[in-house]
Amino acid sequence: MRQPLVLLVACLAAADGSNLVQAAEAPLHQVIDRLVESRAGKQPLAPMSDDAEFLRRVMLDLAGRIPTVAEARRFLGETAADKRFTLIDSLLSGDDYPRRMQELFHVMLMERRGEHAEWTKFLRYAFNQNLPWDRVARAMLSPDATDENLRGAAYFLTARLTKEGAMAPVDVPGLTRDVGRLMAGVDFGCAQCHDHVSIEDYKQVDFQGLHMIFENMQSRGGEFPAVTEKVMTKPREFKSVFTRDPRTTPLRIPGAGDVSIRTFPKGEEYLVAPDRKAKRTGVLKFSPLRELAGGLATGKNPLFARNIVNRLWFVMMGRGLVEPLDLFHSANPPTHPELLDRLAGEFVLHKFDIKWLLGQLARTRCYQRSSRLPGDQPLPPRSSYTVANQKRLSAEQLFWSTLVATGEIDRVKPATDDTLEKVVARTESLVELQKQFLKTFSNPPKEPEVDFAPTVKGALYLMHDQAVLELVKPRPGNLVTKLAAEPDTGKLSEALFLAVVSRGPTTADVQVVAKLLENKTGAARIEAIGQLAWALLASTEFCLNH
Amino acid sequence: MNHCRSWEHGWSRRRMLGAVAGGAGVAGLGGILQPAAAEEMARNDKQILLIWLDGGMSQLESWDPKPNTPFGGPFRSIPTTLPGIHVSELMPKLSRQMKRLAVVRSMKTEDANHSSGVPKILRGQPRNRGVTYPYLGSAVAKLMGPTESGLPPYVWVKPGNGGFIAKHAGFLGAKYGALALGDGKPPANLVRPDSISAAADAARQELRRKFNRQFADRRRANFNEANSYVYDVAGTLMKHVELFDEAKLSEKDRRRYGTHDLGRHALLARRLIEAGVRFVQVTSYGWDTHGDNFNSHASRMPKVDQSVTALIEDLYDRGLDERVLVVMMAEFGRTPRINGSVGRDHWPNAWSVAMAGCGIRPGTVVGETLPDGTDVKTTPYDIGHMFHTWFSAVGLDSAEAEYMNGTQPLPIAHDDMHKVDELLI
Repeated sequence: MRQPLVLLVACLAAADGSNLVQAAEAPLHQVIDRLVESRAGKQPLAPMSDDAEFLRRVMLDLAGRIPTVAEARRFLGETAADKRFTLIDSLLSGDDYPRRMQELFHVMLMERRGEHAEWTKFLRYAFNQNLPWDRVARAMLSPDATDENLRGAAYFLTARLTKEGAMAPVDVPGLTRDVGRLMAGVDFGCAQCHDHVSIEDYKQVDFQGLHMIFENMQSRGGEFPAVTEKVMTKPREFKSVFTRDPRTTPLRIPGAGDVSIRTFPKGEEYLVAPDRKAKRTGVLKFSPLRELAGGLATGKNPLFARNIVNRLWFVMMGRGLVEPLDLFHSANPPTHPELLDRLAGEFVLHKFDIKWLLGQLARTRCYQRSSRLPGDQPLPPRSSYTVANQKRLSAEQLFWSTLVATGEIDRVKPATDDTLEKVVARTESLVELQKQFLKTFSNPPKEPEVDFAPTVKGALYLMHDQAVLELVKPRPGNLVTKLAAEPDTGKLSEALFLAVVSRGPTTADVQVVAKLLENKTGAARIEAIGQLAWALLASTEFCLNH
Repeated sequence: MNHCRSWEHGWSRRRMLGAVAGGAGVAGLGGILQPAAAEEMARNDKQILLIWLDGGMSQLESWDPKPNTPFGGPFRSIPTTLPGIHVSELMPKLSRQMKRLAVVRSMKTEDANHSSGVPKILRGQPRNRGVTYPYLGSAVAKLMGPTESGLPPYVWVKPGNGGFIAKHAGFLGAKYGALALGDGKPPANLVRPDSISAAADAARQELRRKFNRQFADRRRANFNEANSYVYDVAGTLMKHVELFDEAKLSEKDRRRYGTHDLGRHALLARRLIEAGVRFVQVTSYGWDTHGDNFNSHASRMPKVDQSVTALIEDLYDRGLDERVLVVMMAEFGRTPRINGSVGRDHWPNAWSVAMAGCGIRPGTVVGETLPDGTDVKTTPYDIGHMFHTWFSAVGLDSAEAEYMNGTQPLPIAHDDMHKVDELLI
C-alpha cells in the first residue's frame, strides 16, 4: 500500500509490452466472459438481450445513434445464427463509426472545452484510418506541425493553455493533471504542492516531474493549434508546503519514471534550428514533449494501456473496472484484476487497435445481456456485469437519435444517399437544433461526462422548445404524419415504438395507445399521436443506452 | 442542471448519519441509519438567505465606522436602536433594525485576493484535505435537501447570466450546484407555449410517466428516478412561474425594495424563500472600491440599506424570522488606510459580517476592532466559526455531522473552530 508509483508500475509488469501475455488461444471475448462469470459467483444472471435491445445498444455504442425503422426491421427479420457478429463487423466498418468515435473521443479528451476544426479533422482522420491509440496519443502529446492530418492534435494541449478572463493565469497545472488523468488514469491534481494526502501512490515529485514539461512549452498561435518548446537545461526545483525541504526532479513520466535531461552546448541544442522568418519552430535534440510521448504512449508503459482499455470498457459496459476512471492506485484496485491485465495485454499485442477491442467487447455475453432482470431477486451490483448497465447518452447520441426517431431526417433528406451528417450540415434548421442539443445536454466545460445527470434545463427544453415541438407535429414525411395515415392501432403502435424506442410495443403499450386514440379523429387524433411520440422521446428509455 | 432527489438525500443522510454514528463510511449504508434523526432532518423547515456583496463592502462605511480618526473617511456615525451602538450614516434604515440584527465586528480571515478569497469564504475555508469543498449553498442543498415545496434547494439570484453552476458543489458532485437566475430571470423554456394546452401537457406527461414505469420495472431504479425527478422539478418551477412575473409585484414592494438590481433581486429572494427554496443567494457585484471608495459607498450603501431593511421587515411581518436565517457578507472588508486614489484596498484582517433571523440572538454586537480599525481587538473569528454558527442556527450539529467523500469522512465546517454562542439564541 505504501509503495510509490514506480513500484506500483513494477507490480503491473504483466501488462508490459516487453513481457507480453501469451496470445490467448480463445478469442478475447470468450476470455472476458469466463473471467466475468466466474467472478460473479451466485449473482443473478440476466438473460441475453433480445435482438431489439441488442441492436439499439450496439448501434448507439458503435454508430452513435439508434437504428432507423428499416434497419431495425431488417435486423429483426434476419435468421442467421451469427447475425449479431455480422452486425458488429458491419458497424465497425460503417459510415457512422468514425463520426461516433470522433464524438466520443472529443468528449472524453476535451471535456467540452471547445471545438476546433483542425482537432475535428485530426480525430476524424484517426478513426477513418483506425490509427492505433498509441499513435493518436503521441500525436497529441508531441504534436507535429508539419503533418497536415495530425497537427490538429495539438489542440489537446493548446485548448488547455487559454486564459479564462483577463486576470486569470493560464492553468498549466490543470494541463498536467489532465495528461495524467486522461492518458494514464492517474489524477495528480492534489499532489501539486505536497504528496497526495489520502492516496499513498501519488507523490508531489510525480506531479512536478510531469509539470515541468508543460511549463517549458507554450502555445504558438496561428491558424492551426501548435506548440513550441524551450531548451530545457535544469531539473525542476520544488518544495512541499508541508516539509519545506528543497528537492529536485528530472522529467518524470507517469508509469515510466524518470528521464534525465540531456543538455548540449549553447548553439547545438537543435537538430533543425528554428527559423523565425520562415515561422519554423525547430526540432530540439532533447524535446521533453517527445520524451513524454515516447515514454507514456507505448506498450512498455502499463498505465497507458490500462487507462484506455478501462475507458473503453466503461464506454461499452457502463462501469469502469477501475472507478473513478482517473484514480488508478494500489489502494483502489480493479474489480476484476485479471480481466484488466488481460484486456491491457491483448490490446498492446493487437497494436492498440481500438476497433478490434470494441468488436471484442461487443461480442461478449456480458455486453449482450439484458438490462432487465426478470423475477424478484434484488438487482446485483453494477460491477458484477451480470445485468447490463444502463448508460448515459451523450448530447450527440441524443441529437442523432432524435432526428432518426422523429423521422426528421426522412422529412428533409432528398433521394440522395447522403450521410446524416451531410444532411444536417446543409439544413439550417437542423444545424441550429444540433447547437441547441449540445448546449442543453452537455455537461459544463471540464466536467467529465461519466454519470447519468439529467437536468431541469433538459426537461424544460424538451417540454417547451419550439423546434423540439415541431419534430412531433405532422409535417410531410415525418413520423407523426406517417403514423396518422395508419388506421390500425396495432400497426400504428408497432411503427411508433420501433421508430422511437427501437422495439415493438408490449401489450400494455398497445393498450395505452388504443385508449388514448379511442374515439379521436382528425386533428385531435393527430395531436394525440404527437403526444405519444413526445412522451417516448422524453422517456427514460429513450435518453439511456439500456 | 440537476437536483438531488429525496431518494438520494435519504442515501446521503444515511451515509452522513452512519458516519456520525460509527464512522463506518460507505459500509454503513442503511444499517446504521438512525430513523429518528433522519426524520427530524426531513421535517426541518429552516431556510437561509445569503446576501453577498462581491468585491468587499467596506466595514468602515457600514457596520464599524471610525469617524474622526485618521482612517475614518468623511462619513459620520449614527446611533441605532441598540443603545451605545453606532453604524455609518449611510445605513439610516438598518440602524433602526439593529434590535433584530447580530453583527460580528471581529472577523479576521486569511485571504486578501478575490479569486481565491471568494471561494475560501463561501466554502467556510475548511482545513485543506485535498478536496474541493462546496459553497455554502451547495453544502446546505446536500445537508438539508429541498424543502417540502420540492423547489430546487440552491437558487442564486445574480446580475448577468444564469444557468446551472455545478462547480459550487465541489466534491459533492454537480447535482448540488446552484440554479442561477441571471438578472432574476427564470430558467429558459420555463413557460409552456400557447401551442400546448394545459390538458394536452397533462396528457403527454401522463403518457411519459406510464412509459417510464414500465421501463423501470426490474431495471436498476435510480436512473429512472433521477430522470423523473428533473421533470417533477420542472413542473414545480412552472407552478411558481408567477415568482418571475414582475407585473405581479405590488407597487409598494417595488418602492420599498428599490428598482435597482439589488432591490429587485432581494425582492425575488423573499418570494423564493416564501415559495420554499431552501437556500437563496443574492449577489451584488462591484464592491471592489480601490478608487473613489467614498462616492462609491455613498451611492451603493443606500441600496443595501433600503433592500435589506425591506427584507428584514418582511421576514418579521410574516413570521419568517423564526425559520429563515439571513446573512450579509463579502469575501473581506476594506483597508482602513485610504490609498492614493481615495480608495480602500482589500482587508481580511478586521471586518464585519451581519446576520439575523432563525436561531440568531437579535440585537447582538460581537467583538471590537482597534480605534483606528486596523485590527481586531477582541477574540478574532474566522469564517469557519461563522459556518459552525449558521449551521447550528438552522439545526445542524456541525461538530458531529460529516460528509462522506467516498470513504473519506469530512467535517462540514473547520474542525478547529466552533460556533459562537453569543450569536445564538
